[in-house]
Amino acid sequence: MFETVRDSIFSALFLAAILRVTTPILLPSLGALISDRAGVINIGLEGMMLGAAFTGAVVSAFAAPVVGVELAPWVGLLSACGISVSMALLLGLFHLRFKGDLILSGVAMNVLGSAATVAILYELTGNRGDSGDLASLQMPFIQLPAFINDIPLIGGFLYTVFNNQSVMTWIAFFSIFAVWFILYRTPFGMHLRASGENPSAAESVGIRVTRVRYAALALSGLFAGFGGVHLSMGYLSLFQRDMTSGRGFIALATPLLGGNNPVGTGIASLVFGFFDALAIRIGSLQLPSMLPQMIPYIAVVMALVIYALQTRQLLRVRALRSVEGIHFDVSYWRVVSRLSVLHVLMAMIAVIGIIITISLFSAPDGFGGAAVAYPIGAIIGIASALLIVINIPFISRVERLTAQGMWSAAASTLSLTVYFGLFLSLFFDTIPAVLIAVVLAFAVWLVLGGWRMLRGSSPTAAPA
Amino acid sequence: MTSTPRRTPPSAPAARLIAPLLAAVFAIGVTFFITYRIFGGETLDAVMQAINDRQTEANDFAAILFINALVGISVALFIVQLRRIALRVTITVVVALIFGFIMTTVFNLDSANRYIRGEFRVSVVTEAEVIEDEAADMEYGQARGDDFNRQGVLNPISEAAYTFAGRQGDLINVLAYAANRRSEVDLQVELIAPDGTSIGASNFATDEQVEQFDDLQSVNDAIIQGITLPADGLYTIHVRPQDLQTGTILSEALTNTRGAYEAFLLGAISRVNRWAVWIQDALTLILVGLAISIVFRARQFSLGAEGQLYFGALVSGVIALSGGALPGWIIIPVALVAAMTAGFLWGLLPGILKAYLNANELVSTLMLNTIAVRFYELVLTFQLQPPEAGYTASSDYPLSGQLPVLVANTQVTIAVFIVIIAVIAVWLLITRTPLGYEIRTAGSNLKFANYGGINTKRTIMLSLAVSGIVAGLAGAHLGMGIHRMLILNISLGLAFEGVVVALLARNNPLVIPFTGLLYAYLRSGAQFMERDANISFEIVRIIQAVIILLITAEALLAFVQSRRKLTTPAEPSTPTTTMESPRLIIESSAGEKKNV
Repeated sequence: MFETVRDSIFSALFLAAILRVTTPILLPSLGALISDRAGVINIGLEGMMLGAAFTGAVVSAFAAPVVGVELAPWVGLLSACGISVSMALLLGLFHLRFKGDLILSGVAMNVLGSAATVAILYELTGNRGDSGDLASLQMPFIQLPAFINDIPLIGGFLYTVFNNQSVMTWIAFFSIFAVWFILYRTPFGMHLRASGENPSAAESVGIRVTRVRYAALALSGLFAGFGGVHLSMGYLSLFQRDMTSGRGFIALATPLLGGNNPVGTGIASLVFGFFDALAIRIGSLQLPSMLPQMIPYIAVVMALVIYALQTRQLLRVRALRSVEGIHFDVSYWRVVSRLSVLHVLMAMIAVIGIIITISLFSAPDGFGGAAVAYPIGAIIGIASALLIVINIPFISRVERLTAQGMWSAAASTLSLTVYFGLFLSLFFDTIPAVLIAVVLAFAVWLVLGGWRMLRGSSPTAAPA
Repeated sequence: MTSTPRRTPPSAPAARLIAPLLAAVFAIGVTFFITYRIFGGETLDAVMQAINDRQTEANDFAAILFINALVGISVALFIVQLRRIALRVTITVVVALIFGFIMTTVFNLDSANRYIRGEFRVSVVTEAEVIEDEAADMEYGQARGDDFNRQGVLNPISEAAYTFAGRQGDLINVLAYAANRRSEVDLQVELIAPDGTSIGASNFATDEQVEQFDDLQSVNDAIIQGITLPADGLYTIHVRPQDLQTGTILSEALTNTRGAYEAFLLGAISRVNRWAVWIQDALTLILVGLAISIVFRARQFSLGAEGQLYFGALVSGVIALSGGALPGWIIIPVALVAAMTAGFLWGLLPGILKAYLNANELVSTLMLNTIAVRFYELVLTFQLQPPEAGYTASSDYPLSGQLPVLVANTQVTIAVFIVIIAVIAVWLLITRTPLGYEIRTAGSNLKFANYGGINTKRTIMLSLAVSGIVAGLAGAHLGMGIHRMLILNISLGLAFEGVVVALLARNNPLVIPFTGLLYAYLRSGAQFMERDANISFEIVRIIQAVIILLITAEALLAFVQSRRKLTTPAEPSTPTTTMESPRLIIESSAGEKKNV
């Protein structure tokens, strides 16, 4: 049982699955990033994705007899993006022109996207669940040239990962660089960022903030449209009601986690894609399906917390820097903040343990009855609580890391050992697993700069 | 409420009297109109008869009248509290309804299609001898047919032709008719002689012909009666539906839409049981609206009410199901308090995240909602569902775990009183307690609140948590009052509905009963519209989106106006417009600069 999951996680196929499920998160995330940088956060991504997903599926079905099966998906894509962009412009109109509240107008867009798609679907097919009656088409899949498979060592792996991916997946990952180019290498991107940072200043130097924001919203609608099309025409060929299931909202969190730049957003999306794919894989275990389904959402909440804590520590360190001035040891504090993030991460993973415990105690019948569930739940719960307790002191005050370095070292290696040990016990017997875990944990701690921290700050080392 | 004084003209005591007077008139009018409609809406005698029947049958006319009086009071409160804004709210709703009407008409544009769609039959009725011919499609006395413009077919047919062998001098009748009663296809038929000339055509049947021929069912069928065939040979019958006129399409669409809107706008007060659907839905919506209004007052865009509601339903459900032999007056209060606690705790979580970690409350509450729903499903599927149940639901609550019913055979329960208490409690909380003052101040100007010595972090955290109390109560009402068991999808996006309710009421707890009733009226009306007129329920959610868009845009209009009038020192709290994001303030001031 565990073996199948383990084997499937460590395979090229799993990586391919990650790319596949990352696509519908990454595309709207890029949209969220653009609108965020322009200072008009697009809450309506979810509704725009739904509108596009629906339009793509329907138009491709109706266009197929007219323009042929080859061209119809592209017609669908075009009209889908038309819909999502016009929804974004409508949002812009209400916010920028009629001075409506941006967030609530975005909420209205989501309601509109969800309701209008179902209503029209019901009108068209008499079915309010999905568009299975329509002969919708799929976006084409990209086949790699066969010679890649023949490259020694990595060829087969690369081929499995990248072959037969939807064209939308390729568009998504190329979009990272397109967005990067737009934001940092074009005048428009410059104006866009300026409008977000300080609209009054931008206005005063002649940037037409309103127009830039319209464009930013339209772009974010475009990416939401791509994401929606991937949902209904990427691997499925039908529209299901509310098929985005919160991806538009997850997309609002990824740019935050990715440091508000395209590459970081891409990486953050991959993390969520990983959790999404993991949830699908864990589904094959004899577990209630609801538990893995929670994972991506828990990951988002944790990401928000990690981002917030990181920002707070950054501010503390920055304050310290301005106090210490020239004596500030940059590399030392970099290590300290890195290790504090480690503590946050450790505590966060333990939160999952707490959630599992609560689930085990609330619904023991789902996990093989009270006799099995309660002891396991108790163990997981106590262990998670312990891990949280030992990590919390270093999260709440980053200075404690410097004062009690040894304790921090002990806490982080212990937590790491637990997680690595659990993971490695999938492959090895218990004792070797624990031993390897200890070594690994210590190694990770060292790599992150633990030794540097224990040596303490050397005030004269770094000229500012 | 503090929202009123700003709007009232300071002069003319007579003008001040207008609003209460109007309110009283409307309240009494609404109360009697609803009572009159739900008992038939016909002559006064018939209504009295219906009331008497109800009286003898269930003895609860008093309860119905009482609730209708409450509806009237909520209308009065709406007018007295909002005054001129009440007019604007009404206009917004009417505009949204007109938009919905147009949408519905567009959806109904295909309703005339029933005249060109459907199965049909063609037959040749004659007393002459049958001629057998391999080349012909049919022979005398036989019926052939197909399906015009069938839905979901790749290439639907829109006309058909059948041949039969004819003999010179035979007297025949050519019939084209709908194959069954459901098909309303309007046919026209033409008979072509072997030499290619048309020798007869028809697009209707007279009433006598319908009488005479059994196959014909309506005047929409077509018949060519009494044709004498001019020559031997293969004759062709052309049959196709009558062309639709634009006028027909439009008038059909409008007729259907009018019918649908009648069900939409009057369906909820056409019978007592439909009225009950409206009232019970309104009770839930009022609670959710109250919950949302608290967080909106603190200018937190939290949509956590959904998750809190699920937890409230779950916790109260577990207690109601496990209550066993305990009497209702113990179980119900315990379950309600537990639901409130669960909502509070589930609201505390995003509260802490927002206040102390500055995590975006919209994203975090939406994620927590999904987690709550999954958790609810987990417990429901594996713990509460009885093994023999065919679908995912708990067993029925024991009688002691159900809220006592006020109106017999409906789900209108003592939740009415719970809602009244909740409305008053939230009103007291917002206007008469230190926490309410802090919430209002933090909501209108966070910096000011901070400088004024308010612990804004604690205030924000508590605003989300306290809102959870009310949302938890809504969940308990869904479980113990309406469904009387726990089901999957016990709430589908009620938090969004709560947004509309709160926004329409300008986050004023005393107005929320009215807006909750109004919105529930539309929601239940949409259900009846779907049932009676086959128009998707989702139309009401489209109207909902339009209302949100219009009402927020309008709220900002008021805000801009109030900023222009900076000559009068405004109160720090401007409760009617608590929804603007800080960025907009920056923007509008930038705009002013440009004007200078």
